[in-house]
Amino acid sequence: MRNWWLSLLVVLAAGAASFGVFYALNDDAELRRAARDGDAMAWLRAEFHLSDEQFAAIRQLHDDYALVCTRHCRAIINARQRQAPAGEIATLEQICVDAMTEHFRRVAALMPTGEGERYLAIVLPRIANYEHVGAPSVQVTP
Amino acid sequence: MDHENSPDSLSRTLADWQVQPPRSPQFRAAVWARLEQVRRPADWPAFARAHARALGGALALALVIGAWVGREQARARVEEDRALIASAYVHDMDARLMRLP
Repeated sequence: MRNWWLSLLVVLAAGAASFGVFYALNDDAELRRAARDGDAMAWLRAEFHLSDEQFAAIRQLHDDYALVCTRHCRAIINARQRQAPAGEIATLEQICVDAMTEHFRRVAALMPTGEGERYLAIVLPRIANYEHVGAPSVQVTP
Repeated sequence: MDHENSPDSLSRTLADWQVQPPRSPQFRAAVWARLEQVRRPADWPAFARAHARALGGALALALVIGAWVGREQARARVEEDRALIASAYVHDMDARLMRLP
């Protein structure tokens, strides 16, 4: 009986070791750290394997876009505050969507071959998805 | 007639035959050792050898299941975190989401 229990223990230990090895091999600690910290730039760097030059250029693009985004934000908030016609608000929102799409395409163009397409496949559907929950809580700019 | 192979000859030979095996001082101890070995449960390596097929199958199954579950869990967790940070990243640049204070 003791040998059967010992065998079961060996089998369970082998299964646990196998689980641990394959979990570690398929894990992406850097990505998960970035997600936990809400650090989008760290995520971009890890997820899309950016070189230092690419990362610096993309960071600059994001910094520049932050100004554009702020302008759009003010315009939309202003229109909402003065209860502008729905058509005007929709136009402002469309300008925001177009600017974001263009920005993401520029970012993708700076990424390594193949990674840009993957980046766009991740971010573009999220622009279209306008059902949002919660407030933004991510650091895009340092 | 072949006298040497006759039944009388065989009987005489058997009657005269005496076995005189060499004395072995270890005989008794060896018998007891073998009896003890049978009575005592086998150690695990011997047990494993005796059940090699069953144990090998169970080990292979455990390795495959462990690998598959580990891979799926890690991927699911990474995918979940990726979706979270990607959504936050896009939303942070989405002026449509800005709300009045």
